[in-house]
Amino acid sequence: MNKRFTSRHHAAMQVVQWIVFALLAFLFYVLMTSGSHVQPLLLIPLAMCISVHFGEIPSAAVGVVSGLLMDIACGKLLGYNAIWMVVCCVATSLLHSYYLRDKFFNTLLLTAVCTAVQGYMDFMLYYAIWGHENVTLVYTHIMLPSGIMTLVCTIPVWLIVRWICRVCGSQRSFELEKTIVTSQ
Amino acid sequence: MNHFLKSTRFKVILFILALLVGIMIYAVSVGGYTLSAVSLFRTITAPFQRLSNSMSERVEHSLNVYRDAEIHYEQNKALKQEVAELQKQLADYEETRRHLEELQEFVGIKEEYKDLVLSAPCEVVSYVTNDPFGAFMIGQGSADGIELYDPVVTDLGLVGVITEVGDHTSKVTTILSPEVSVAVYCSTTPDHGVVTGSVSLAMEGLCRLQYLEKDSRIRKDKVILTSGENGLFPKGYVVGYVRDVQVDESGLNTMASIEPAAEISDLSMVIVIKDFEGKGVDRDE
Repeated sequence: MNKRFTSRHHAAMQVVQWIVFALLAFLFYVLMTSGSHVQPLLLIPLAMCISVHFGEIPSAAVGVVSGLLMDIACGKLLGYNAIWMVVCCVATSLLHSYYLRDKFFNTLLLTAVCTAVQGYMDFMLYYAIWGHENVTLVYTHIMLPSGIMTLVCTIPVWLIVRWICRVCGSQRSFELEKTIVTSQ
Repeated sequence: MNHFLKSTRFKVILFILALLVGIMIYAVSVGGYTLSAVSLFRTITAPFQRLSNSMSERVEHSLNVYRDAEIHYEQNKALKQEVAELQKQLADYEETRRHLEELQEFVGIKEEYKDLVLSAPCEVVSYVTNDPFGAFMIGQGSADGIELYDPVVTDLGLVGVITEVGDHTSKVTTILSPEVSVAVYCSTTPDHGVVTGSVSLAMEGLCRLQYLEKDSRIRKDKVILTSGENGLFPKGYVVGYVRDVQVDESGLNTMASIEPAAEISDLSMVIVIKDFEGKGVDRDE
């Protein structure tokens, strides 16, 4: 009875958790499209921080949603960022399943790699390939500051996601709890 | 890890990736038209973006006041000087105004602009994130009669061109982008050229006037107008003002930096020219 209540309670908290994540993603999308100044790509740290706490399939779903939102916000070809975000989110989830612990530095490092490669691909495919002159200015004046801002924003995003996962109980912590209870 | 590669989860992820590639190919195939799902999403999110954008503009404005204090001080000094000069000219004002009205009627500018079919004022919903050329989204689309490659203007001058159309939103690529080329002429000299964007000038909010003759008489502060030669823009609309003139790298032509008449990084409302005389007609043909 107690176990059934715990499972139901956990399921309800999971629903709340995903609603909060969806609202956060929407808020970050709106923030990314506000004003004409250089913006951090807030959806990257959000997707990476969420993937740390979940399995491969939920992480892939997070990657799809955040990637498509980035495509719409940045005016890119639909699916272009989504593919890369799926790869990054699944890789983050797998690395945390097999090799890494849930530490801020690990998330920051993975976010930095994801942002750097995304920025480089963006720069190459949308600017450098067309042979515009002084194209490196796009990198130094827009992509680099945006990347640095993204990394700085990883700190609050990591704290927020971690807090939500602690309050609602992430999939991993629940699985771990179940394993401990079963083994006892 | 090997266990994961053989699992159903891995196959599901591969399926998701294949689906995304499919979406990407489909998005390419529809050209400049927004996918209906994206269009619907943009329509739903537009009110939130408007709110967020207006808040962001206020914050940016407040910060700019402090950041640009020194520049404003210098500008204030320059403006005071200008006011003094203008006061001297005030005596001739009435005569100048009458003369200007006569000239306007003579040139027929008012008559010329009558042929423009304009949209209702379009709100700038949001700017495209981190676009170096200042592309932005407006709150009108194909449902409001807006078409691909329609020119976008303000009362001050040309802003850009529609490059993506959704049902209720459209993307505007500005004249700061190298993707946009505008055939132009100088209002007071016989110079003709093409205004286009460049990365380095876009960072300063300027664009480039190229393909001018080497012995061009173009000088600073000259007004640059659209020539309407390629049928993409109406003839005689202000593009901007010459800021700097120099010989290009080949040494065969003169080029100039142009400051757009419309302040592209700080737009809140624009107008789309839906139709005009000579639209789609290449006058060179």
